[in-house]
Amino acid sequence: MADIKRFLARRALTFIPTLIGVTFLAYIIAFAIPANPAQAWAGGIKANPEVVARIIREYHLNDPWYVQYYYFMKGILTNSIIDPRWGYPVMTYMLSRFPITFQLTLFALFFLIVLGIPLGIISALKKDSWIDALVRTWALVGVSVPIFWLGYIFIYIFFYQLGWINIAGIPYPKVHITGVPIIDALLSGEWNIVLENIKRFILPGFTLGFAGIGVIARLVRNSFLEAISSDYIYFARMRGLKYRRIMTHALRNALVPVVTVLGLQFGGLLGGAPITETVFSIPGMGRAMVDAIFSMDFPLLIAGTFLVAIIYVITNLIVDILYAVIDPRVRF
Amino acid sequence: MSGPQLREPLIEVKDLYVYFYTYAGIVKAIEDMTFTIYKGEKFCMVGETGCGKSVTSRALANIVPSPGRIVKGKVIYYRDGNPVNILELSEEQLREIRGKEIAYIVQDPSSALDPLYTIGYQIVETMIDHYTVKDWKEGYKRAVELLREVLMPDPEQRIRNYPHELSGGQRQRAVISIGLSNMPRLLIADEPTSSLDVTVQAQLLELLRRLVREHGLTLFLITHDMGVVAEMCDRVAVLYAGNIVELAPVDEIFKNPKHPYTMGLLRAVPNPQADIEKLEPIPGTIPNLIYPPPGCRFHPRCPFARDACKREKPPLVEVSPGHYVRCWLHAE
Repeated sequence: MADIKRFLARRALTFIPTLIGVTFLAYIIAFAIPANPAQAWAGGIKANPEVVARIIREYHLNDPWYVQYYYFMKGILTNSIIDPRWGYPVMTYMLSRFPITFQLTLFALFFLIVLGIPLGIISALKKDSWIDALVRTWALVGVSVPIFWLGYIFIYIFFYQLGWINIAGIPYPKVHITGVPIIDALLSGEWNIVLENIKRFILPGFTLGFAGIGVIARLVRNSFLEAISSDYIYFARMRGLKYRRIMTHALRNALVPVVTVLGLQFGGLLGGAPITETVFSIPGMGRAMVDAIFSMDFPLLIAGTFLVAIIYVITNLIVDILYAVIDPRVRF
Repeated sequence: MSGPQLREPLIEVKDLYVYFYTYAGIVKAIEDMTFTIYKGEKFCMVGETGCGKSVTSRALANIVPSPGRIVKGKVIYYRDGNPVNILELSEEQLREIRGKEIAYIVQDPSSALDPLYTIGYQIVETMIDHYTVKDWKEGYKRAVELLREVLMPDPEQRIRNYPHELSGGQRQRAVISIGLSNMPRLLIADEPTSSLDVTVQAQLLELLRRLVREHGLTLFLITHDMGVVAEMCDRVAVLYAGNIVELAPVDEIFKNPKHPYTMGLLRAVPNPQADIEKLEPIPGTIPNLIYPPPGCRFHPRCPFARDACKREKPPLVEVSPGHYVRCWLHAE
């Protein structure tokens, strides 16, 4: 246990440079854009010069970039940066959008696990069959097809032609526990809300996870094939173990590398969320970030980037812990 | 030393052919293999790497690794006095025999044990799947006893260790306990000590000899080490390129070798039972078994090769009681 505490402390320290690096890059990009955000925030060309001047003072826009960055980070950490468009603190605003994005990535992750892993196993067990060809094609097509195109195609088929799904509004349950609609609905047992959420999120989730499903299936296939042709599986057969037990041995070994990639994919899903949310008009964090870009709302944009970075490093921390749970050879 | 008095067969291999179907061509790994292992004896198979020792041993429980296939022959196993042909049994019947009646000890214990499970677990699951223990609790008790029997230090602690936490010798002890766990009738030890250093080798061979004596097991030992043969065996079969070239009681092989290959082999290694001044290597290399030499497979390297040797394969003939040779020098 002492080991795991030290490990967590060490990992937490590596968070700091990562987060500084990410926000710094985002900040520099925002800073480098030759625009006048103060004018835009104050109302465009006809803005009152006094208001513009106040905004410049308030957000330190005339100071050198490192001074701006310092005030900005301080403001993020104390949540005292007010969004110039909405008047809320930017972190509060982003965090209020977060549960929706989280729900979307959960759906995508669900497809990754529930479709990706079994497809990979089946294609390994039936090597060179049609399902194996499907998995291999899927992996290739998945990474080549742009999400927005796929999203519109799916909307056309499943909403416009078939009418199976819903693409407007987010049904919220009456209770508010975690803020994530479907989890709250499950906890309070509001089954029709759960169902409505599924109908609303199943397609965006699948779209967002589409590339990942192929990647995971391909990875599971290869690592399962490797496990099943290993010496310990052969020896397990020589020991006369039952088929199911042998498969359990193979599967557990095959899943070790998959856990890492699932963690990385989770980050990728968050990165894909802005496009998916825009296509399916889901009011999540990604959508808010896209809007922020269009209205030059840099404080909000960087706050969002900061939040995504935090989620990403935390996910990777969880993955590292899980990794050690699955594989006894990994020690902290 | 010339074997047990009661010559009751335990397993009879008759006219066995094993081919490997590779991309490069058909490797004729085993041809025309016939021998018998008697109950309670210590039978040895000796030969160079790639001569088919391991493949022969795997064929006894019909578990030849892919792409190998048994193309012809019989393996008659006397199960409680009733002869059954191993090669005609269903996969489930074979599973019941493997690890319970015919158990293996493999060459490389580091890759034969599943890295993700404790050695205790792997010993117990071997018994659970053969119903030789009531439950896991009893299994673990039995595993501790087994580890104590193979002289594992601290068995109560060791059952909780993962393979990577043990030394090579300890891992081999764990593999030996797995082999012994169901008290098999035939224990097949495939170069059990070749991956270990010399002091541990001697200890483990001594241990094996004691276990075989105390439990009345039949031992089928595979080795390339003539020293091990002299120390461990009652009868020995010398393999060359997939054929038995000589089969005799161990004293006969060392004192009165008949086949040129056996004679060469004995001159190439320090012989514990004869004084030789200088070690002489056998000229040439082992043949490619996709295109085995016609006639006697040893003739390209044989100092006594005659015309007949190149044309026709010599039969295995009994030159004195229990002493068989496959050579034209002794066939007439």
